[in-house]
Amino acid sequence: MNPYIIETNNVTRSMGGTVVVRDLNLRVKRGSIYGFLGRNGAGKTTTIKMLVGLIWPDAGTIRVNGVEPSQFTVEDRWKIGYVSERQILNPFMKVEALLRFTSSFYPEWDAAVCERLLQRFGIDRSKRVRALSMGMARQLAFILAMGQKPDLLILDEPAANLDVVARREFLDEILGMLRERETTVLLSSHILSDIERVADEIGIMAQGQLRVSESLDQLKETVKKVRFYNFIKGSNGFALPEAFQFSKTSSEVAATFRVNDENSLQKLAATHGCQYEIIPLNLEDIFVEMVREPKEAA
Amino acid sequence: MHLNPNSGMPIYRQLFQQLRQRIGSGQLAVGDQMPSVRELSAELKINLLTVAKVYQLLENEGLVETRRGLGTFVKAGNETKSAGEKRKLIADAVTQVVAEAQHLGLTEEEVSKLIHQRFEEMKKD
Repeated sequence: MNPYIIETNNVTRSMGGTVVVRDLNLRVKRGSIYGFLGRNGAGKTTTIKMLVGLIWPDAGTIRVNGVEPSQFTVEDRWKIGYVSERQILNPFMKVEALLRFTSSFYPEWDAAVCERLLQRFGIDRSKRVRALSMGMARQLAFILAMGQKPDLLILDEPAANLDVVARREFLDEILGMLRERETTVLLSSHILSDIERVADEIGIMAQGQLRVSESLDQLKETVKKVRFYNFIKGSNGFALPEAFQFSKTSSEVAATFRVNDENSLQKLAATHGCQYEIIPLNLEDIFVEMVREPKEAA
Repeated sequence: MHLNPNSGMPIYRQLFQQLRQRIGSGQLAVGDQMPSVRELSAELKINLLTVAKVYQLLENEGLVETRRGLGTFVKAGNETKSAGEKRKLIADAVTQVVAEAQHLGLTEEEVSKLIHQRFEEMKKD
């Protein structure tokens, strides 16, 4: 079986005359929780819409579960759960009725999971959808997506309106899904501490392209901020063209870059006659350092 | 077990170090059964793949063994370390010496000579 449940090849898409996604090669392994990151306008939502077949690429190919989204059959769609940024559920329906209505489209509906989640999230099934809080409406959208027993669950900003406790429960459910059903999850969120809790792979989009796609472990182990100081002859000649961020004063250099092994760092410091200190970065730090416009101090 | 997902150190490393420490200190004794990957990931609320990776690392280091169909157990004879692990254990000390030497402006030959001398002295003792 293809190890990738999502595979895009050189996908490009414009919206309103502007290229929003450019030559995108996104690969998501089966059974992973993929944290899909980027600033607003980086092209995440456009990409997600192409993955679920709501819009089509101008160029390039996409395979989701082995199928081009424009060719999805009803059965293909059953296997893909999608909770969008602005999910609109029928506001006049009662929760109970909405569940019954939605389940009628899916022959393999998981009523037990829906029941458990309604209880866990404390959603009253006799309420009308419009009477639910924003957060609860998102939880309900999530429950509906879970009910269809998806192979792939795509969540676009699912936790935006949830409080900390509700977010933790929600993350716990995502982890449980992977554990129990090996569901692959593509999770887009601005709450990086959440992503950091659950994701094993990270993709970072910037200006319509994937800047990074690798395991979170590798990212944390290789992307470091390093402070070089105590220069014997001053820091004038010091340059690191491959750094994501770089700043320099006469006595100190701070740079964020890939440190693949510490030996090379020692050599670098020895060459320039200085000492160094490694500052570990968490996901939020790494994200900011990678997508922020590079600034260079004189 | 205390894990901080928002630290600069990957979760798998934190878990690996803590489990290794528990095995080393005997809190997890030889022959003890480890919780399953699923159980531990549910208990710690972390990704299943992270726990699986840690168990693999523990197995590679010879600290645990997987018995087919039974589970993962703390292995006997943890005292005997593999050559790879011995090298890893001394690597940090070597790194430190090399860094110090560079800072003092000593050459590789000079440092090698010192190490050699020390080995010779040890043999006489």
